[in-house]
Amino acid sequence: MSAENYILFTIAGTSYALPSQDVAHVEMVEQITRVPNAPAFVDGVVFSRGQVVPAINMRARFGFERAPLDVSSRLLVVQSRGRSVGLLVDACREFMTVPESAVHPPGEALSGLSAQYVEGVASVGDRLIVLLGLERLLGSTEHAVAAGA
Amino acid sequence: MSDQLDSFLDDYFAEAEEHLAVIRRALLILEQSIGRPRPDAANLEELFRSFHSLKGIAGMVDHRETETLAHELESYLRAIREGDTAINTAGMDALIKGAGTLEASIAARRANAPAVDTAAIAAELRGFAAATPSDARADAPVAIAANCSCIFTPSPALIARGINVDVVRARLREIGEIISAAPMITSQGAVAFQFAVRGTLTDEQAAAWRNDGMAFSAIAPGSAIGPTASEDSGAAAGAILSSGHYVRVDLARLDELMRMIGNLVILRSRLNDTVERSERHLPAAHYRAMQDDAEAIERELRELREGVMRVRLVPVGEIFRRMPFMVRDLARETGRSVNVVMSGHDTKIDKFLVERMMDPVLHIVRNAVSHGVESPEERQASGKPLAATLRLGASASGETVVIEIADDGRGIDAERVAARARLVGLPVPSGPLDNATLLELISAPGFSTRDKSDRVSGRGFGMNVVRETLQELGGRMQLETERGHGTRFIIELPLTLAITAAMLARVGDQVFAIPQASVREVAEIEAASIRALQGSEIVEFRGAPLPVVRLSSALGCRETPLDRFHAFVVGSGAAAVGILVDRIVGHREIVVRATSDPLIRVDAVTGATDLGDGRAVLILDVAAIARQARDRGARRGLAVVKDIA
Repeated sequence: MSAENYILFTIAGTSYALPSQDVAHVEMVEQITRVPNAPAFVDGVVFSRGQVVPAINMRARFGFERAPLDVSSRLLVVQSRGRSVGLLVDACREFMTVPESAVHPPGEALSGLSAQYVEGVASVGDRLIVLLGLERLLGSTEHAVAAGA
Repeated sequence: MSDQLDSFLDDYFAEAEEHLAVIRRALLILEQSIGRPRPDAANLEELFRSFHSLKGIAGMVDHRETETLAHELESYLRAIREGDTAINTAGMDALIKGAGTLEASIAARRANAPAVDTAAIAAELRGFAAATPSDARADAPVAIAANCSCIFTPSPALIARGINVDVVRARLREIGEIISAAPMITSQGAVAFQFAVRGTLTDEQAAAWRNDGMAFSAIAPGSAIGPTASEDSGAAAGAILSSGHYVRVDLARLDELMRMIGNLVILRSRLNDTVERSERHLPAAHYRAMQDDAEAIERELRELREGVMRVRLVPVGEIFRRMPFMVRDLARETGRSVNVVMSGHDTKIDKFLVERMMDPVLHIVRNAVSHGVESPEERQASGKPLAATLRLGASASGETVVIEIADDGRGIDAERVAARARLVGLPVPSGPLDNATLLELISAPGFSTRDKSDRVSGRGFGMNVVRETLQELGGRMQLETERGHGTRFIIELPLTLAITAAMLARVGDQVFAIPQASVREVAEIEAASIRALQGSEIVEFRGAPLPVVRLSSALGCRETPLDRFHAFVVGSGAAAVGILVDRIVGHREIVVRATSDPLIRVDAVTGATDLGDGRAVLILDVAAIARQARDRGARRGLAVVKDIA
């Protein structure tokens, strides 16, 4: 039976996961430099291992209210098609292997905004975890930029 | 695995680009032989060899359409060569069209675009080859090379299969005589062996052995073994010697080195701060010693940096080499006759600049041919040689590289420029226009019918995009033109880019870096002297009105009420704009890191830098900010400013 490794994180009380191979590293959040005229959900840029990386505020991206940064805030530096992008999340402290059999299609319940970048929902024990697709997430992020979000 | 494939493909594209460069040059030489009894043999051979090598490497990466076309080009050249015949215009056009399609097919693969259909031109070339009187049997299984070079790169996998240098030697003896053998280091740093062989290799053998780590290329293809063979082997030995002296380096690896040096520069400046702060805690002798060491480190770092930068430098000729092709086509289309004279193409410049300058230079050259050069009749009437001369020159002076593009055409018609400028609503000073003003006008946005949007469609663009590109690169442009005598554009570019001197300025609670090259002057402006004018703001500066733009409002920063501002004056003449900041807080060398992600690609920001505290400081494109302000001002009525002037 096949299984995939995921990095788990929380945004506004919900558990999300990305395949661990998409995540280059996870950092504490220090200083984010605001970039003028960047999309509203981009908090700015940070230096991550010598690279300039945009920081997407995932709360803002998913339509929640921004929360002040605290000790549990993390920046997930993800890599996709040669791009490096930072995802600012409330917390990130778990690594989990999810068997394929535990993954269900997103279904009706998740229609709307987030359905565009959800690959599936995993039920592990008594928890529900929303599995995100990075390409879709970044792709829809670009659409949001084009639409002037 | 896919990483390996990627780097393999990168190598392929780099090598293909080198062959294409040789092909472009050799085709131009070949073209000059039209009408002569026989083409230059050495040039023909070089061309043949390049097509042949391209065919080989395209086959290795399984780009069939490129391989097929290269094969047909090679076959046609063999027919010309072996038939010992002259080449005519139709045949030349087919070769040039074929080479162009070859280039397009490689470019398409590089861009991950759909493969280019090369079948039609390949068939056309086959027709030409068949029609060339020749005793060559292009389709017979003859040797693809009589004298060839073989590079064997051993690997653990090959050795496991029993394929080692001795086996390779034995195989090469099967096909002929091994003339020389030498170990070499590949661009990946692996050990390989290069053999020069005189013998006959069939396509089947080449294909089968290629899978065993043996890569073949022709040294003197098609030449019979005979009295000239020993010369050929001498040439082969020379080729081996020279290939061992160069390694091909991926630009990304150099960038990586540059980044590491950048980190050292930052650490060094942090160390300096610490040393300065320690002064009163240390015995004077210790402090002095630390200061000396810090200075020595700084000197060494500067040299290290310069050393790596020199590696990044490539000949300016890379910009020029496409030009004769383009000029040739354009001249033929428009019925002009143009000779291209190039000088200083060995002048070295940063690879990145070469890439960015390609289109601007192409644009100026295109303009020169289609607008500058007169028809042969017109030239005859004014007593000029029938063929116009287009000079492309490059020279280095200190930290700058100068590129000149000069034609001996009719010169720029100032009256027509003025008329056009008035038509599109640009302010035109009264009286005769000097060269600087002319350049100002033809580079103004809206002057050219071709504008920014054309850059996307790839059809060339107006002079304003040339100017914008130059500003972005920290370069400058001058114009010299004389009616009836010609036009000359002089472009000055910085030698390198990665590290640059910058001013640091505070606006609200944020610090920004502004590259010094884009700033003409720094001024102090009294808040009280700023006057509002139709939604814009101006001050009087050196006796002339200077539109100003507050960086805080351009960037949406918090505004601080101040009595006086510092201003960066950007652009000159009518295009000058003052950019107001709260305070200039420093001046230092910064390491430029690109902000290339689409999420943060905003007009005003070109990159970011780390001043030593791990925080990203944005590098501003003040030229772009000034331009935006000018465009806004133009909409709101620059005319008013002009009236006051």
